[in-house]
Parts: sequence; structure tokens; C-alpha cells
Amino acid sequence: MVQKKFIMAVSEGTFDKGMMAMMMGNTAASMGIDTHIFFTFFGLNLLKKGKNPKMGGLYRLFTGMMVKKMKKIGIDSYQEQLEMARDLGVHLYACNTSMEMMGVKKEDLIDGITILGAAAFLDISADSDMQLFIG
Amino acid sequence: MVIMMDKNDTLDAKGLMCPMPIVKLAKKMKDLKVGEVLELIADDVGSKEDVPAWCKRTGNELVGQKDEGSVFYFYIKKVQ
Repeated sequence: MVQKKFIMAVSEGTFDKGMMAMMMGNTAASMGIDTHIFFTFFGLNLLKKGKNPKMGGLYRLFTGMMVKKMKKIGIDSYQEQLEMARDLGVHLYACNTSMEMMGVKKEDLIDGITILGAAAFLDISADSDMQLFIG
Repeated sequence: MVIMMDKNDTLDAKGLMCPMPIVKLAKKMKDLKVGEVLELIADDVGSKEDVPAWCKRTGNELVGQKDEGSVFYFYIKKVQ
């Protein structure tokens, strides 16, 4: 079977966007799909060491409740999902311009992240079969 | 579908929701040898669509499937 290639761009750093990116990415990798995720703008926060993203806006206050609810139905925390993504070989990219703009250093990010720009990510995307934008 | 009960290993994914049964299934299948059959037990309704899709995509064979109330059994043969 020809291997499919899946690319995702994530521009928001809230809990729901991060979880969706991880769940889709980890499922794709588990299906043998070559998976690449590009984190840009606020999405970059999702790659920070020890980051536990919160829901957006007023829902922020209910993040803990949501995490507990997900745990109850067997869904791992965001950090565990991110760890799983690395174990499954999901390619994770940080946008260098966003890093500069938001004052994020390479050492602020978890290990195993490739830092690149738009052209490099578009090159990776050019021969992809599936594309998803989460923002 | 023919119900095939011969199995080499079992993965109990009851209580887990999408995507965890699939992620655990993919991991577990790595431990099996080609030709062996894994029994996957799940109670996530989504798994009824997700498991056949996983098999189709990864080239493994779903050799049997049965429901017992709200618990679903899948028999997956490792092809490659």
C-alpha cells in the first residue's frame, strides 16, 4: 500500500486545538500515515516544555473539568499525547518567524522539534495527500 | 462476517474512547507475528467504523467481528 502523507498547520494554542491536533496526528501515525504538524502563531505555545494549554476565553475556567472528563473516558492529557506523538514518529515543526515574534527560544521548546520557515513547510506539504488547518 | 475465535493475543480497550483504541491497537499489532490474530475488545461506538478503517489503511485483515450488547469484538490478522 502506498503511504499517505498528512500535513497539519496549527495557529491557535488553546486546549481544544492542541488536543485535536494531537488526536488526529496520533491516529494518523497509528494508521501508518506519514504525519507532519506545523505550529505557528499561538500554536507555538503548544510545543513549550511543560505546557498545559487552557481552553479559550471564558471557557478557560473549565479546563480542569474538561481534562478530568477526558481522563475518565481514557483520553490522555495533552502532555502525554504530545509525548506519544514523538514516540509514534509524528514530525513536529515550529515556525521560526513566530518564535522570533513571540520571544520563544529553542530551549523553551520540547526536544525533537524542527525549526523551519514557510518555504520549507510548503515544500513538505507540496506532495502531501491530506491537509488540515487548525486555527 | 464470519466470526473467528482463534486468537493469539487479546487487547482489552474497554473504557477507552477514540483515538485510544486505535493508537493502542497499532502498538499492539507490532508485537504480533505475520499471520497471528489479535482480539480487540472495545466499547467505544466509534470503534465499529474506526477499526475496519484502520485495517483497510494499514493492510491488515479484519477476519471477524461480533457484538455482545454494547461490547464489540474484533479479530484482526496481521498481514504485514
